[in-house]
Amino acid sequence: MAVKKLSKEKIGEALKELSKFRLIAPARSDEVVIFKEIADPEEAYLDYGNSTVPPKKVVFPQTETLFRFMVGNPELEEKNVEEEGTTVIFGLRPCDARAMAIVEKLFSWDYDDPYFLKRRELTTLVGMACVEPPSVNCFCPSVGGGPFGKEGLDLLLTDMGDYYLVQSLTDKGKKLEETLASQLEDAAGGDEKKAEGMAAEAEGKIRRSIKTEGIPEKLPGLWENDLWKKVSAACLGCGICTFLCPTCHCFDIQDEVEELGDGRRCRMWDSCMFSEYSLHASGHNPRPTRRERTRNRISHKYSYYPSRFDVIACVGCGRCINLCPVNIDILDILEQVVDA
Amino acid sequence: MVDINKLREIAAEVISRDDVRELIGYRPGTYGFRARPAFVTGPEEVDRLIFTPACVNNLATYITLEEKLPVPRGQEPDTRKVAVMVKGCDSRALVQQMEEKAYGRDQVVVLGIPCTGVVDMARVEARFPGVLELGEIALEGGKFVLSFDGKVEEVPKDELLADKCARCRYPTPLVYDQLLDDEVARFADDDYSDIEALEKRSMEDKWGYWEEKFSRCIRCYSCRNVCPMCYCEDCVLDRINPTWMRRSVDISENTAFHIARAYHLAGRCIQCGECQRVCPAKIPLMELNRKFYKDVGELYDYEPGTNVEAAPLLATFSVEDREDFIL
Amino acid sequence: MKNPYIPYQVNILEAWYETPGDRCIKTFKVTFADEKVWDTWKQLPGQCAMVGIPGVGESMFCISSSPTEEGYLRFSIMKMGKNTTALHELEAGDSFYVRGPLGNSFPVEEWKGKNVFTIGGGIGQAPLRPVVEYIRANRGDFGELELIYGARTSEDHCFKAEFEEIAQCGECECHLAIDVEEEKWPHFVGFVPTLLMEVAPSPENAIAVTCGPPIMIKFVLQNLEKLGFAPDQVYTTLENRMKCGIGKCGRCNVGHLYVCKDGPVFSYAQLKDIPEAFA
Repeated sequence: MAVKKLSKEKIGEALKELSKFRLIAPARSDEVVIFKEIADPEEAYLDYGNSTVPPKKVVFPQTETLFRFMVGNPELEEKNVEEEGTTVIFGLRPCDARAMAIVEKLFSWDYDDPYFLKRRELTTLVGMACVEPPSVNCFCPSVGGGPFGKEGLDLLLTDMGDYYLVQSLTDKGKKLEETLASQLEDAAGGDEKKAEGMAAEAEGKIRRSIKTEGIPEKLPGLWENDLWKKVSAACLGCGICTFLCPTCHCFDIQDEVEELGDGRRCRMWDSCMFSEYSLHASGHNPRPTRRERTRNRISHKYSYYPSRFDVIACVGCGRCINLCPVNIDILDILEQVVDA
Repeated sequence: MVDINKLREIAAEVISRDDVRELIGYRPGTYGFRARPAFVTGPEEVDRLIFTPACVNNLATYITLEEKLPVPRGQEPDTRKVAVMVKGCDSRALVQQMEEKAYGRDQVVVLGIPCTGVVDMARVEARFPGVLELGEIALEGGKFVLSFDGKVEEVPKDELLADKCARCRYPTPLVYDQLLDDEVARFADDDYSDIEALEKRSMEDKWGYWEEKFSRCIRCYSCRNVCPMCYCEDCVLDRINPTWMRRSVDISENTAFHIARAYHLAGRCIQCGECQRVCPAKIPLMELNRKFYKDVGELYDYEPGTNVEAAPLLATFSVEDREDFIL
Repeated sequence: MKNPYIPYQVNILEAWYETPGDRCIKTFKVTFADEKVWDTWKQLPGQCAMVGIPGVGESMFCISSSPTEEGYLRFSIMKMGKNTTALHELEAGDSFYVRGPLGNSFPVEEWKGKNVFTIGGGIGQAPLRPVVEYIRANRGDFGELELIYGARTSEDHCFKAEFEEIAQCGECECHLAIDVEEEKWPHFVGFVPTLLMEVAPSPENAIAVTCGPPIMIKFVLQNLEKLGFAPDQVYTTLENRMKCGIGKCGRCNVGHLYVCKDGPVFSYAQLKDIPEAFA
């Protein structure tokens, strides 16, 4: 089957076609790039680096209802995610898609998380290859990804100049191609090879890296090392690194009741960097300071998660480095781990 | 311009004192033009200290941020002082913290840095994208001089200057044990013209404006955590028992959070602008805080963070107050 | 697969206070509102459940009854915060909600033929109770059963009536303790680790299971080592703040182990090289 291409002139049409689904694309709110549902193709902003908040929020919303109830009534009304319908995320970066595949391992570990998994099933991911690295702090190749990475994606678009090369990677991807049959054309024979060359070039443009081999095994032994105090001294204990991280998935569960007695149990993103994250009702806190919490976060991503799921829970998107207000830099921390 | 050798000499002296346990200053960041906080515990570490227009962080927040752990049995508490480098705006945070009796004057050693302005790092990175190797920023002859990747670029000061600096009234620290440079005279004022323009907009307009901003809020609490005045050990917005503010993130809770925090800062916010700088969603928080500042100035003729001996405005009751009860 | 976040309703058959005071302990004996749940409820001693009230919240508690006690579950809950205070308001006839059984269990099958010593302190007896009841219900399959249990005062002892019954039953030995002298207290006065050294159980073909305040566990583990118990002969349960109970929300980890899934039951062999286990 021939590989397809989408002429840039037809992007508006294609997005219009896709807006019969729940279409999520990068858009601008003031000068901030966010992923949001768009009805008008004009809203899509595809010529972007990367969004501040990753598109993980589409399959794992920041706040979502688990079930509803009425105080005094024993019936619990489970939230039906199917109502949200088929969703297409158009134009996300390979790192963000790979992150969803990584997090999916946890959400299907022994117990199936029906909310995440159903959304994942209903969502088609159309990726946009990174011809240029979105940021100087990208390091996806160091952690198993790449600027033209395909893991987690259903379709990959590559900007070839006047058109996008469209490569379908899964059955869901093929289905979406069929939806866009009127907008797609067959790509030229040499395009795939050309894209491979562009991928290698793009990887060469990524300037930061870390040798992760051995880090998962080394971390537990560094428990009492004074590097943790040093790297966490400036930390504000906010949630920027965790909320903007595409692989972070920790959540809180809270019950909310309105005045008339109708309520819901919902879950919302939580951050292991917040002090109350592991606070017991008795007042005891096993991770009382930023030092313990920083050590836990890095250990979780680079040691605990790989020990269980064989993959480092970091995709090298660089958001935490770019947006940490005090310039705490995960690569800087990992270099100290390697040197310790 | 701060003489960097003098700064390091003074820092070495201070950290060598028996009664000082830590010195908080600035050091180069990990990429591009960034600078970051430095926590120095010995004179051998002072060589990495810097002070440039890239030193945007308000280090005063660390005085109240550091966790106070229970002292293990048999050990004495560490009562040594903390030394901190502060710009003019940052020093107001120390003054306000001391005004509120968060700690005594004798618990900090203040190294004041009269400041000629810092950059808006977002503007710098937009103007010179893709800089990875550490670059330097200096202010010379009314221009920012950026040295990076083997080249030197000069940019007129006002193009990269942080907005808060363009209206700074206190460039010289208001409290210090030592001043690391010559005093800088006030060179600007806040005319509040943008606040007044916002005030004049219709309610519908204003609500649309803030709804767009607050919808982007992800409740990372970076604004609260970076704020030197937000140091309550048990923040009312974190409480679950009772739940004053829901942890769920939606326009209603987000709006409540920002308005509540602005009210908690009324008469206390010292206008360092860190909240707005750190916000990943680029919410113009200083517009709220400046509105309160303007109102507090007009209603009570009071400026927080200017006088350690002053009584905290909204925490003080006087018989002459208009209201007939303390609430 | 059933949605693991949706709880079952349980009706309270009986509820009574075990101990008095600010942090009193209340025991609830409950059964499922929908009887059919029993058909799929497969529980082993040591497992836990998320217990809660929609509108208030959920917390993880050990199921304090053994699967050999048919037709009901027991929970012994200490009043501590928002959720537990709301639960304490409930009485027989009321309902709450339960998700489970969650977590792993004591490997009671592996313990068959061995001598089992339980060493509990305060509310720590609640997760040990299912082990005791399981062994008593399958008495012939196990060797000696010896219980060491202490609390601050005689009033703070849980399961007082049951302990009296156990002391009389002749199938097992029972050693009780309180921290400080009390008039009319006929048993040991002192801390549980000290009593443990007096009882001096032999590690030969034995398993020791301990649960209680962290400081007690610390010294019990030291003393068991002194008595010659190997780390894989010693079991305990850990606790941590939990929300999902199924290994998703991330917060309950101790090192790389999730207390809600890899635990709450751990052998000392598993924990001794994890510094966070005894934080």
